[in-house]
Amino acid sequence: MDKTAPTVPEEQRFILTSASPSRGQKRLALGVMLAFFGAVLILAGELSNIQLGRIDAFVPAYGTAVFVNDLITAVLLFNQFAIMRSRALLAIASGYLFTALIVIPWMLTFPGVFTPGGLLGAGLQSTDWLYNLWHAGFPTFVIAYALLKDADPTKGLWRGSAGAAILSSVAVTAAVVCVVTFLVTAGQTHLPRTMLDSVHFSTLSHYVAGCLILWTAVALTLLWIHQRSVLDLWLMVVVCAYAIEIYMPSLSGLARFSAGWYAGRVLGFVSSILVLSVLLYEITTLYAQLLRAVMAQRHEREARLMTGDAVAAAIAHEVRQPVSAMITNADTAVRWLDRSMPNLDKARAALKRIAVDGHRAGALIGSIRAMFKTNARHRTSLDINELIQEVIVMVRSDLQRHRISVQTDPNLQARQVIGDRIQLQQVLLNLIANAIDSMASEDGPRVLSVKSEVVDSGIMIAVADSGKGIASQDVDRIFNPLFTTKPDGMGMGLSICRSIIEAHEGRLWFVGNTPRGAAFQFVLPIAAA
Amino acid sequence: MSRERLIAVIDDDESFRVALVDSLSSLGYGARGFAAAEEFIAGDGTQPYDCVITDIHMPGMSGFDLMRRLLAHHSSVPVIMITAHEEPGLEARAAAIGAVCVLRKPFEADALTHCLERALKA
Repeated sequence: MDKTAPTVPEEQRFILTSASPSRGQKRLALGVMLAFFGAVLILAGELSNIQLGRIDAFVPAYGTAVFVNDLITAVLLFNQFAIMRSRALLAIASGYLFTALIVIPWMLTFPGVFTPGGLLGAGLQSTDWLYNLWHAGFPTFVIAYALLKDADPTKGLWRGSAGAAILSSVAVTAAVVCVVTFLVTAGQTHLPRTMLDSVHFSTLSHYVAGCLILWTAVALTLLWIHQRSVLDLWLMVVVCAYAIEIYMPSLSGLARFSAGWYAGRVLGFVSSILVLSVLLYEITTLYAQLLRAVMAQRHEREARLMTGDAVAAAIAHEVRQPVSAMITNADTAVRWLDRSMPNLDKARAALKRIAVDGHRAGALIGSIRAMFKTNARHRTSLDINELIQEVIVMVRSDLQRHRISVQTDPNLQARQVIGDRIQLQQVLLNLIANAIDSMASEDGPRVLSVKSEVVDSGIMIAVADSGKGIASQDVDRIFNPLFTTKPDGMGMGLSICRSIIEAHEGRLWFVGNTPRGAAFQFVLPIAAA
Repeated sequence: MSRERLIAVIDDDESFRVALVDSLSSLGYGARGFAAAEEFIAGDGTQPYDCVITDIHMPGMSGFDLMRRLLAHHSSVPVIMITAHEEPGLEARAAAIGAVCVLRKPFEADALTHCLERALKA
């Protein structure tokens, strides 16, 4: 992966965690937030005190769902970190990993889920304190994220290996969860009593919830101050949901399995799925955008690449227009003069038009020549083997249709030449298209071989086929313009190829292939290292 | 000749259009040039043309589009089509919708007069 951090605005558009939210996204986030508060208002009354009874499957189902959601979110965010190398992203990814991991001991120690008193040697207070630390931990990571994201870019970006950074974050987060779990289980006797029994909360839990809500408010405020991206927007929604989730059981007569308690868990689940859905949706949308951009780029490139015959047909059409006008004007001039009373003015006008059309045809030919003249500005150092691969990809469907197998160099080491990428692609495309045509009508194995090797005068590229080859009487003429052996060909391809190669100070020639077929070879000067 | 025969020339290539209009007037016809089929349709519809010579490949409305439109309006004006393209099968397509003939650029004056005679005899 590219090690430099992208800072170009054009690229930022494709990076989810730095894309700014659209008006629609802001509205949606606001809508979700209002729906949360709506739920609170509905449940704030007597409704939340209704004791719904214990549903045994609820805690494991809820815990597993939150674990999976938060783990996937963490993976996606770690990936974003690998691209962006922002420490802030590493912090929030670790936050999601933390919530995913701490759910495990919370579930295991929950009284009555696996054993009546909970696994891991948990006591009455263990599960609730895991819950409290979980809900204190996540806002802490969010605070770290908010503070790091606007840090000085030189400090905010991770310079080392992304893999090592991710591995150490995962290790540290896992260690923290293990230590927390150990403390609340082994040290349970020292924990403040927030539970009266396995169902009812103590009054102290009120104050704990108050502190947690204050802590989430700090996180929310910092996010608000530093908000910029789509991720920030949805993190604010999630933090709000956390606050409401913490507040819910306090409303509800302080008991587990009350309507308020269930509602709090459901809200927790919704908030865990929120950032995940947004990330997935945004990634899919961005993928579609990228795909469209890549396709458009490819179409543009292919539109500029034409086989020699297509170039010739286009040229023929352009030249035919002024030539037709010239012929018609000449006929007309003769007719004006041939009259019994010659109309000299009309004849003169027609002759003048011939001169104008002649200049137009001349200018056209000049512009065609300019098109094939190598423009020094377009010349760059390029890897010829990479170019060969690109052209083979372009003709892949033709190769498959005619069941032609392709041989290229097994060890594709980079071979740099100086040249005009488009023109050299055009040469390769023409030679390969000729090879395909020549094999398409032949029986027997069809093999196209495109190889490069270093020779004294530079780098030699050979395009060989097992087609019908070139008859000995034609060999001297194949590079002549207008010579063709194809029924619908114009005979421009090879002569254009040779012009291009010669303009690159190289040479293009033909050799017979053994046991059958044709081989075209060209040499390009090697790029100075 | 009771009156001068009037011919419409539709071609987006200006130099050829001017050449053809002058060629027709040197042959004794009245001729008017249009840069596009749309321009011809928008032009004075009261002018009764005896023949329409139209390029096939034009930006916007093509020669075939024009021919179909004329047919839809029950016009019986004979149409001659011209083209600078090499595309095969244009003659058959043109004949199928009732064009008198297709001239491929560049064409001889004789070919044009021959086509015109056929068109105006009808």
